[in-house]
Amino acid sequence: MDDRNLSRKKNTIYNIVAVLILIILLFPLFWTLITSLKTEKEIFLNPPTWYPHELNTKSYAAQVETGDFNMFKSFFNSFVISMGAMLISVVLAVPASYAIARYKFIGRKAMLLGFLVTQMLPVSVLLTPMFIMFRNLKMYNTWGAAILADATIGIPFSVLILKNYFASIPAALEEAAYIDGCTRFSAFMRILVPVAKPGVIVCAVFSFLYGWGDLAYGMTFILDQEKRPITAGIFNFMGQYGTKWSYLTAFAIVAIIPVTLIFIFMQKYIISGMTNGAVKG
Amino acid sequence: MKKLKGFFRYDNAGLLFILPAFIYMMAFVGYPIISNIFLSFQDVSVKNLVKGEKHFIGLDNYITIFNDGVFTKALGNTLLFTVACLIFQFLIGFLLALLFCKKFSFAKPIRGLTMIPWMMPMTVTALMFKFMFSTDVGIINYILRTAGLIQQNIEWLTTPGTAMIAVIIANVWIGIPFNTILLSTGLSTIPQELYESASVDGANAFQRFAKITLPLLRPTIESVLVLGFIYTFKVYDIVYVMTEGGPVNSTHLLSTYSYKLSFDLFQYSKGSAVANILFLILFLVGILYLKITMEGEND
Repeated sequence: MDDRNLSRKKNTIYNIVAVLILIILLFPLFWTLITSLKTEKEIFLNPPTWYPHELNTKSYAAQVETGDFNMFKSFFNSFVISMGAMLISVVLAVPASYAIARYKFIGRKAMLLGFLVTQMLPVSVLLTPMFIMFRNLKMYNTWGAAILADATIGIPFSVLILKNYFASIPAALEEAAYIDGCTRFSAFMRILVPVAKPGVIVCAVFSFLYGWGDLAYGMTFILDQEKRPITAGIFNFMGQYGTKWSYLTAFAIVAIIPVTLIFIFMQKYIISGMTNGAVKG
Repeated sequence: MKKLKGFFRYDNAGLLFILPAFIYMMAFVGYPIISNIFLSFQDVSVKNLVKGEKHFIGLDNYITIFNDGVFTKALGNTLLFTVACLIFQFLIGFLLALLFCKKFSFAKPIRGLTMIPWMMPMTVTALMFKFMFSTDVGIINYILRTAGLIQQNIEWLTTPGTAMIAVIIANVWIGIPFNTILLSTGLSTIPQELYESASVDGANAFQRFAKITLPLLRPTIESVLVLGFIYTFKVYDIVYVMTEGGPVNSTHLLSTYSYKLSFDLFQYSKGSAVANILFLILFLVGILYLKITMEGEND
């Protein structure tokens, strides 16, 4: 790291300030984690305890046992829905973004504009007509409805991100593949997609996260608690057991496990996605 | 057949790659948008949804919602919520971006960690803030009491004015990383030499900020604010989970009110009308955004 501009003293001060800010910013997460490990009685103590005096892991254990507090099923549902939405987004967006980056076909500009506009759509506009559509298609109350709906968030995002990746690949690479006898499709699959792999990972990660975070679609298109995603499960539980904070905070922690894992292993893709997705448009 | 092959030979071959995604989006986004417009001119509710006997009733839904009081309240709330969130998340995000552009040893890993709030499911964020703002066990009341700022616990989420403050704070928490990262990227593109030569010429820190940073960062600031407006104006989950629009509609946004009309009261057509107005506002702002970003970019 380049720190020649800063004296040692200044470096220390900046580090301390940054750590303090980080502690304040991430306090809600810390507090949720601590609360999830306390007993219900300790949560209601005044003044509050800053760490669990009596360690309580019941709220986590109950999530995999049978009964009202089982969250494992919802977690699995969320996983299936997010993976499904991610697969659809990637499979459709990768070739689409390649087309936008490389070909000046009829209607290119209009389609690009269409993807930009869909990124700005509020879910409310799509909810009611989709609800009626899924009812007519007999898909209401299935994972499929949530998967198809969630992919509509991932696709435009992925197309807009990936077109920049494909545009930055030198055209000579593709031409060389044609000379070697590749067709358009095989050159795309065997040469271009592997080169654009970092971009494809960004799209996969974001499409997964969009699916994982969704509440509106999962809650509206799936009626059975048995098939609903974890966000809807948590929302439902909040309505029924509003003050069981030990369980509620434990659900919250479990729901962010995938997010944490993605953050730990794929941080650079997240930052790249946030910057490229928004600034370039 | 030969003609068709010729059509797809050169640039139009791109159509073959984009058509699957295009058809998908037309089916699951394009069709619903159109269908939502029709729906808002009809009288579809739970009574005739299954039977399919719907009638064209013109602008009746729009006239009804404009006169029902809750809609205008929700519109005002949405504007207040959006502007308040934008101001705070932008200012805090900007300060953080300025801090992280200093090259201290932990700048990058700490900046990375501040991105976490943005990645979390909004339902979880809403739950955390609902807990922290709760009246008796809430840590926020405890801190305010200990600091001597309040004597009695505030009923944050069940009092109209304070409920709005609570949802705004929760949403600002989510919005800060987005502002920080985009402004950081913008700052990193400003050439360091400009600051150095300005220092040599005797400009102080404030002058350097006002004369170099702000003007050069203007395009980034514009797009951060317009995008922030779009993302905040359509927020739904945070408010729905924390307050469901209550108490007495004081936190209803256009998005939550539209949801309530459609899926709590089963007045699908009225819900659609509210959603369309939300969409129309976003669409106009969206055009403004496209104008900003497309300037100077000719593709």
